[in-house]
Amino acid sequence: MNPDDFEKRLQRQPMRNIPSEWCSEILAAAQQAEQSQHRQRNMQHGSRFTHLFSTLNHQLAALLWPSPKAWAGLAAIWIAILAINHSVGGASQQIADNLTPPSPQAMLALQQQARFSTERPNASEEPAPVVPPPRSDRRDETEAT
Amino acid sequence: MPTDFERLYDEHAQALFAFLLNLTHNDADTRDVLQELFVKVGRQPELLRPVRDERKYLIRLAHNLAIDLMRRRETRQKNYAQFAADTCAIFAPSAEPDELAFQNALTAALAELPVEQRAVIHLKLWEGLTFEQIAEALDIHANTAASRHRYAIDKLRERLRPIYDEIK
Repeated sequence: MNPDDFEKRLQRQPMRNIPSEWCSEILAAAQQAEQSQHRQRNMQHGSRFTHLFSTLNHQLAALLWPSPKAWAGLAAIWIAILAINHSVGGASQQIADNLTPPSPQAMLALQQQARFSTERPNASEEPAPVVPPPRSDRRDETEAT
Repeated sequence: MPTDFERLYDEHAQALFAFLLNLTHNDADTRDVLQELFVKVGRQPELLRPVRDERKYLIRLAHNLAIDLMRRRETRQKNYAQFAADTCAIFAPSAEPDELAFQNALTAALAELPVEQRAVIHLKLWEGLTFEQIAEALDIHANTAASRHRYAIDKLRERLRPIYDEIK
């Protein structure tokens, strides 16, 4: 048995043809899979924001769930602080609005007083430092007494 | 951009059918794997975009899917090949009685080979691939492909010697 002849003999055997009815079924299945995959990808893309919101909500729920009363109390305190801050801020603004500006006579008097204080003679000079006399002079003074 | 399934089918389905039929020796399994392959390409059309040689890539996919199918059916796999050989024809039946007898004997002999040897012998003899191309398609070393081919041919020659000498 010649090896080449044997292999050539095998190669000559024709393979069966694919059944013709498979074509439409297989192509339909493939196209259906492609379309469903396409739809699924579109839905995933559209629901990304929803997914993010859901994740955030889930995280918050996990954080708050262990002590809901404590978190609710803390929120109420913050609301009260904000309300007080708002009301006080409004009152101080009202007081500022109600204040009357100083009269022109008072302003003139203030300006004159300020000018007077800057124009005083030797107002800016510092007093001369006190220098103690030499130690020998001080001895004479003690002997004299 | 939708995948051109009709072109893929026209160009490759016959070769994939023959390869899968030789691996599984079962019409229903061949159809299942072939459909699974096209569905996989439909779901992941990006698989084929970077591929230079579609045929080789599809053969590789088909081989992997067929091996997966056989592993899933491992419990009934012991006599699977022999059972299939008795029930499934992988060659177009010849009108000549001697040739038909040789085809039947060849089908039975192929069924007795390990699946991996069958894959190599099919790609070498009926797809005309080189050992390097077979190695690339089946993700094995070229030397492994060559040795599997040699073992398979030796077994076939031994098995078919009587009928071959008789009808030569």
